[in-house]
Amino acid sequence: MWKGFLSLVKKDCQMLIAGKFLIVALGSLLLYTLFINFGYINFMQAKPYRVYLYDPAGTQAEYSERILSVHSSEELAQALSSDTNGVGIDASSGEPLVVFYAGSEKADNHRKDYALSLLRSGNRYEAEAVGKNTPEMKQRREITCEFLFIELIAVGFLGIASVLFKEKQMGVIRVHAILPLKKRLFILSKITVFLLSDLVFAVLLTMLNIEVSGAFVILPAVLVQTALLSLIMALIGFACAMLLRDFKQFSLAYLVIAIFAATPVFLTANTSVKMAWVKYHPFYQLYMELKSAYFGTSHINVMYYIGAVLAIGILYFFVQAAFHKEIGKEG
Amino acid sequence: MKGLLFQLKSVRKDKFCIMSFLLPIIVAIALNFVGSFDLSSLGELHFGVLENDLPEQTILWLEKYGTVDANKTMDELTASINEPSTNLIGVLSDGSGIKTIISGDELETFRETADTLPILFERREAAEQIRAQVLERADLMAGFQNIFIAATLIVAMFMGCTFNAMNIISEKEDGVALINEVLPMSRSQYVIQKIFVGFAFGSLSAVITTVICFRLSLQSSLLMLALILLSSFVSALIGLFVGRFSDGLMVGVVYIKIVMIAFLAVPLLKFLLGFGGGASLLCYIVPSTATFEGIMALLSESPILPERDILILIVHCVAWFLIYIALSICQKRQT
Repeated sequence: MWKGFLSLVKKDCQMLIAGKFLIVALGSLLLYTLFINFGYINFMQAKPYRVYLYDPAGTQAEYSERILSVHSSEELAQALSSDTNGVGIDASSGEPLVVFYAGSEKADNHRKDYALSLLRSGNRYEAEAVGKNTPEMKQRREITCEFLFIELIAVGFLGIASVLFKEKQMGVIRVHAILPLKKRLFILSKITVFLLSDLVFAVLLTMLNIEVSGAFVILPAVLVQTALLSLIMALIGFACAMLLRDFKQFSLAYLVIAIFAATPVFLTANTSVKMAWVKYHPFYQLYMELKSAYFGTSHINVMYYIGAVLAIGILYFFVQAAFHKEIGKEG
Repeated sequence: MKGLLFQLKSVRKDKFCIMSFLLPIIVAIALNFVGSFDLSSLGELHFGVLENDLPEQTILWLEKYGTVDANKTMDELTASINEPSTNLIGVLSDGSGIKTIISGDELETFRETADTLPILFERREAAEQIRAQVLERADLMAGFQNIFIAATLIVAMFMGCTFNAMNIISEKEDGVALINEVLPMSRSQYVIQKIFVGFAFGSLSAVITTVICFRLSLQSSLLMLALILLSSFVSALIGLFVGRFSDGLMVGVVYIKIVMIAFLAVPLLKFLLGFGGGASLLCYIVPSTATFEGIMALLSESPILPERDILILIVHCVAWFLIYIALSICQKRQT
């Protein structure tokens, strides 16, 4: 049995190489790494609101150095219209008047009071920090986790389906009906190959984008989550390949999965937009576990692991049934 | 003309094309009638406090700036502060004042807010005396919805690309491409027919999406139409390129996905992160950047008309068309 399994694995590896799957994976690895190191880290900066002061009479003597001084009311108006998040203080009448473009009500209250607080510079207070990450470490973990998730649910999923459709088209799947091999070996070998390639991808992506000392600590937890996600996606891809007629139909199913499965998850997980129903979204749970693995905050959530293993089991039996049906078509 | 009819017939049988035609329209209807996600909490601050720690008045004062969540224990509060998806600021009482706790990994604006919050609290009464003049600007939240609509429109225009690429690839796979070589049809006729099909349906899908999503003035409608037509033309042309360079359906789908991601991601990133200088100019290499900016300008009813974007799109149309013709001529010479 092992010999047969190994030769199937070897054949699948050859197919991945021939189908340029590995090149696509390496290419995306390179692209993600370049983007994280040269793009994301530099772009993602949110500066505090700028505050502009117009004070021709010099009534405000001790304002903070964070305030930008302007010399005319026109200059103030212009500064505000080009920087609509900024706040202007017009002290030309002696009494300060705060001027700004409307945003949301609560943010406006804060902008006004923040700008006024800068008029008097006092002792600088510093908030107590309780976390152990720096902003850059957080950004790197966050974006690496997102890319790994996208790669697993979108790109890897496309990969397994493209390989299977190719085999289906060529009739290789039906040939297996007469091969002296256990039918489940065919499924197992496919899933093993994709699992291995996903694990290698996860290791490389993590090592290249997160500082070395941190990467070693989080890697075991990340690999466990990657393995779960990879198994689930590979089995879904397998099921799609068995049930759908051709790759064209699959690409529609793919579009639906990529857009409708991923968007709410990203929106909820990365912003303060919270949708109440999202916790029933299975991909949300998977994503959050992957994320907490990256941040080293994962704790053993028994229900989650039972759910994941059950899902993999059910998908596996479903795929096996679909596979038998596909083979049986030949009669 | 007859050739065109045949092209339309082949499209009618292609479920993929029909679905990609309908998808943006369905999304537009959904956006319009169901309403989009509640994004109103995006620009607000979030505070975490301990139960029975701060006086009622202080909590009311905090609620003036953002939402306040109460936590039972200090551990719970620390965990929510450290939670990576939010930028929660912890607020505790400190004598008659307050003190703040952050995780330390926040972006600068949140750190600055946490650093200044105790001073704001100290001077809260003085601050209330001061007058504020709030200037009107277009609704921020509508801006977020506009992004969704603009992205949907780009997907609609992009349909021409999917259309053409899929059409050409399946012709290649079925061997129709080879038959075309011996038919009494010139290469230019073929190219024009193919572009027309993708262009017409891409524009149609985008026009329907536009009509569902907004009401525009006559001038804006004309400008929008120009944006749609030019973008659909470029998409249809890019579809020809994809069809030309991919030898199988799967490779084609991968190329289409890559192009589509680039079409959506580049303008969105440019818009959200506000690149400047060289990076901003580089973004215009992707034609959808100009489309996106044009649509956003029209949607936000800003006084700046999207003439520059239309000009960029015209340059794209001409450039891609010339490249395609040059490629065809090169190929002809080789054979």
